Amino acid sequence: MAEIKPTRMELIKLKRRIKMATRGHALLKMKRDGLIMEFREILEEAKEVIGGMVDKYNRANERITLAKAVDGVIAVRSVAISCQYEPKFTIRRKNIMGVVVPVVKREKIRRKVSEREYGVVATTARIDEAVSAYEELVDATLEVAEIETTVKRLIEEIDRTKRRVNALEYRVIPSMQEAAKYITFKLEEQDRENIIRLKKIKSKMAAKEAEKRAREEAAAAAA
Amino acid sequence: MLGKRPQWAYIVARVRVMKRNLIPNEEYRKLLNMDFNEIVRYLEETEYKREIDELSYKYSGPRLVDYALSLHLFRRYKRILDVSFGAAKELIFEYLKRWDVWNIINILRGKLANVPPEEMEETLVPVGEFSYDFYKSLVVRDVDEIIKAFDRTPYYETLSKVGQIPLSEIEDELYKIYYSKITSISPTEQALKFFVDFIRKEIDLKNIKTILRLKMDEVPAEEIVSRIIPGGYQLDVDEARKLAAMSFDELVKSLEGYWFWKDIEIEDSFSRVEIKLDAMWMQDVARRANYYPLSILPVLHYMSLKKLEVDNLRVIGWGKWEGLPNEVIEEQLVVV
Repeated sequence: MAEIKPTRMELIKLKRRIKMATRGHALLKMKRDGLIMEFREILEEAKEVIGGMVDKYNRANERITLAKAVDGVIAVRSVAISCQYEPKFTIRRKNIMGVVVPVVKREKIRRKVSEREYGVVATTARIDEAVSAYEELVDATLEVAEIETTVKRLIEEIDRTKRRVNALEYRVIPSMQEAAKYITFKLEEQDRENIIRLKKIKSKMAAKEAEKRAREEAAAAAA
Repeated sequence: MLGKRPQWAYIVARVRVMKRNLIPNEEYRKLLNMDFNEIVRYLEETEYKREIDELSYKYSGPRLVDYALSLHLFRRYKRILDVSFGAAKELIFEYLKRWDVWNIINILRGKLANVPPEEMEETLVPVGEFSYDFYKSLVVRDVDEIIKAFDRTPYYETLSKVGQIPLSEIEDELYKIYYSKITSISPTEQALKFFVDFIRKEIDLKNIKTILRLKMDEVPAEEIVSRIIPGGYQLDVDEARKLAAMSFDELVKSLEGYWFWKDIEIEDSFSRVEIKLDAMWMQDVARRANYYPLSILPVLHYMSLKKLEVDNLRVIGWGKWEGLPNEVIEEQLVVV
């Protein structure tokens, strides 16, 4: 409070800032609520996508176990290592209420049996099923990566917005209001002091005037 | 040479004794209800005891079972070779040469996948033309040296293409070489005819699996034909070309009438169709083996059943270790 200049100009500036902060607070509150609603929707989708990925993981695990059992550990390992194909995808950006989230555009991961790096005669369909299950799992993982990043960024933004709303609501606006109150009080105090000072001057001047008049009357009576 | 009248009675009698030691079908249900350790204990009470004891100081878990089963299969086949003689031995030896292809593929895959030599050794089944020591010397060499080691063998030409064409094509080519060598034999006597027909039927089975697997994946007909093994019993290259050109539904309909297609329905999971085909194949072999009890057929029947038993036990072992549900494991068992 000590640094605040208790001037009318300062009070006007402060009142303007309080008005702006209150409007900003209302807007941020709306943004927070909007983000939370968006987050809830995406969370449902995320639960579904992650659940799907877990199912696909279990299926892939099941299939690879059977492939290992029937075609042998070495066959499975060599098929896995010889697979040179890497999943291709492009990342674009999407804006959700000012939050930039990624959109992963995936290219087809699933390949035909003839395009894979193992022989058909020397292997069984268990290997095909294991490879297909893992191809689906990679696709699901990319989908989860997209939605998980979106959820993470939304959470960060909600958190940041919440902090801003709370800071405005419980710290910035009350401290500015306090300052405005202080300035108002100071200005009123100054006004009161002035009035008293003026009154004192006036009474002194009146006393002087009365004294002067009394002296003149005394002089006139003596003459 | 091949085709001389072998003394089947002795060999078949020995094989019958071995057959008695096969795990009965009803035991698989019991095994499904056991946990992994109980399964290992069960196997220790069967003829697999020796192999499990030998390997248990080095391995544990499903790898112990996996490698013990491979070792046992190798010993069983070796035993059959040891008790056979004359032309019978030659036929069985020809049949077992498929394991050379298996070993070569395994070593190449292992080398390309940087699998430790000791682990590669455990998966070898050296009952074919090349000895265990020969394979043992290969697993520590690099790929070029391995290929050179097969110089002057029928596999050399194909193996020399490693690095130029995909390994998948080389794998398929090696099997084609193995099968073409047998199908090129013109059988002069009954024993040989049984053997060649058995192999040709096996080719049919491999071919139909290839056609269906690739057709389900909508692979073009020409590409399917390039993977076909020539010399099938009913399904040679021309027949396969005809089938590969059909739509999937037409193909399935036109399979009625082939010896291997009886009450088989196409399912989403092709591995189940493969299992049914394998079961059908085993039934066919069993029927023919009963019909011709003093021929190579009972021996081939036993060897196929032994391979199935090992595969089934491996599925149960890995499945139980990984905690797969019993129904999933059961679906994958070939029970004849």
